[in-house]
Amino acid sequence: MGEPAPQMTPSVEVVTVPKPAPVILLVDDDEITRIGMAGRLKRLGYRVIEAVDGSAGLTAIRAHRPDLVILDWMMPGMDGPSVCEAIRADPELRSSQVVLMTAHDRPEQIAEGLSRGADDFLSKAASKQEVLARVQASIRSSALVREIERTRDDLDRSHKLLSAKQHELESELQSAAAFVRAQLPLPGIPAPGIAMHWAYQPSLALGGDLFQVCAWGTDALGLYILDASGHGVAAALRAVGLMSFLREDNLVKAVGSFDPGAIINEANRRFPLSQDGEYFTLWVGRLDLTSYELSYATAGHSGAFLHATNGDSRWLASASLPLGFDPASTFESARTQLQPHDRLYLLSDGIYEAPSTTGELWGKPRLQATLEEHRSSGLVHSITETMAIAHQWLGGDIFPDDVALLGLEIQDRSTAHKGRA
Amino acid sequence: MQITERRVGNAVILDLVGELTYANRATFKGAVDRVKSSGCRQVIFNMHGVRFLDSSALGTLALVAQSLSGTPGRIALLNPQSYVKEIITLANLHQMLPVYHSEQDAIAATNLPAAG
Repeated sequence: MGEPAPQMTPSVEVVTVPKPAPVILLVDDDEITRIGMAGRLKRLGYRVIEAVDGSAGLTAIRAHRPDLVILDWMMPGMDGPSVCEAIRADPELRSSQVVLMTAHDRPEQIAEGLSRGADDFLSKAASKQEVLARVQASIRSSALVREIERTRDDLDRSHKLLSAKQHELESELQSAAAFVRAQLPLPGIPAPGIAMHWAYQPSLALGGDLFQVCAWGTDALGLYILDASGHGVAAALRAVGLMSFLREDNLVKAVGSFDPGAIINEANRRFPLSQDGEYFTLWVGRLDLTSYELSYATAGHSGAFLHATNGDSRWLASASLPLGFDPASTFESARTQLQPHDRLYLLSDGIYEAPSTTGELWGKPRLQATLEEHRSSGLVHSITETMAIAHQWLGGDIFPDDVALLGLEIQDRSTAHKGRA
Repeated sequence: MQITERRVGNAVILDLVGELTYANRATFKGAVDRVKSSGCRQVIFNMHGVRFLDSSALGTLALVAQSLSGTPGRIALLNPQSYVKEIITLANLHQMLPVYHSEQDAIAATNLPAAG
């Protein structure tokens, strides 16, 4: 056996980068004073830049952004206080740290200097200790100001980045909302003899309520309204998922019939409660276009009101669990006969659960009364007015829950071809 | 939402006060998980102090009912008030979570051996 390989101790070399010396700009027309003060400052460890008058001083400030500016008061052309004012008036320079230097230190002169923008005073006759103390204090202030400026700049950058991201997200959200809206049926005449109109107002850009009226086979209209629990993107995505399941071609494959009870039984199997307890309520109807017999079933959804011309208006719902609550639940279809001029409204609970400003819910009875009051109006007007009255009750524009209200009217067979909606 | 846990015999009663909504479902589920991890399978949710329940909370309750429904778990709702009672009835949740109006009835009912 050979010698064990010498154990290599990883060597870490700590390189300390020396902090650059603070830069001081010294502005004084008097060469002797300037050279003397520059020498003192250099001996204290500072890097010194010199300027011979106020105008050259301003140019040097812009070029070098010194940590500290020491300005002589008396100078030809721009004197020290005038340079101070120019610095404070310039947004790029106004945070510079400025010390005025004078042979005199009368209180009124100090007051004037401070009022014109100086941060501190330094007497030309100051001792080495005083110069050191005042310069160090000013450099500390300068460092703090620069730190604040850096933080402000970082915040500005972060804010701009966040704004751009938010704009991007809002744009994507709008695209998604447009996509979801495109899944909804076009108002008008979904089948000969049937008029349809709807109103839809998600509480956020995207809603979890969706509905559809479409052909199921050659002689029936499929109707449904679903409500994904929660709001926003997640609810909308889940709602579109259930909507895909309810497509005509998929129902033929997955259920083998358009019987609402059978459809909901299959949906109950395929859409269990999510890990976070999210679920759907669903109302499904099948309207026979020859006989106008409506078969329907519901899973936890209270969402259809039949406004019948013969006075037999009623809610088409039965007590049932939402989808996925109990995999063993079974759902049965019920049947009812629609007559010409009957109106069938599919709606989400968001409309009758709209709270007033005092918290009182609008409620089903008020909704029903409103729909009945508009019996003599056209379907479009009835839905528009009902939404307006719900808004009045709410006392605002945004409902706390998604709101959908869809109305179908059986037209008189003799006038059906006119397409009254 | 405030949740206070009390033990009465073999049962744990969770007194819920406030609003049971999407925003505080983690607090609610946390309290239920603590009860489950203690080995207790007889849980009563006292709804008397719950003044609002949203659709997400219904799902959370259903999820809890599913997770505790195995033998010998027995759970119940106690004394929901007005609006909350109406929501539970509309969603037919009482099919999964029986509702009682007295603590004694809830304890006696959940103490029975689970069916099946």
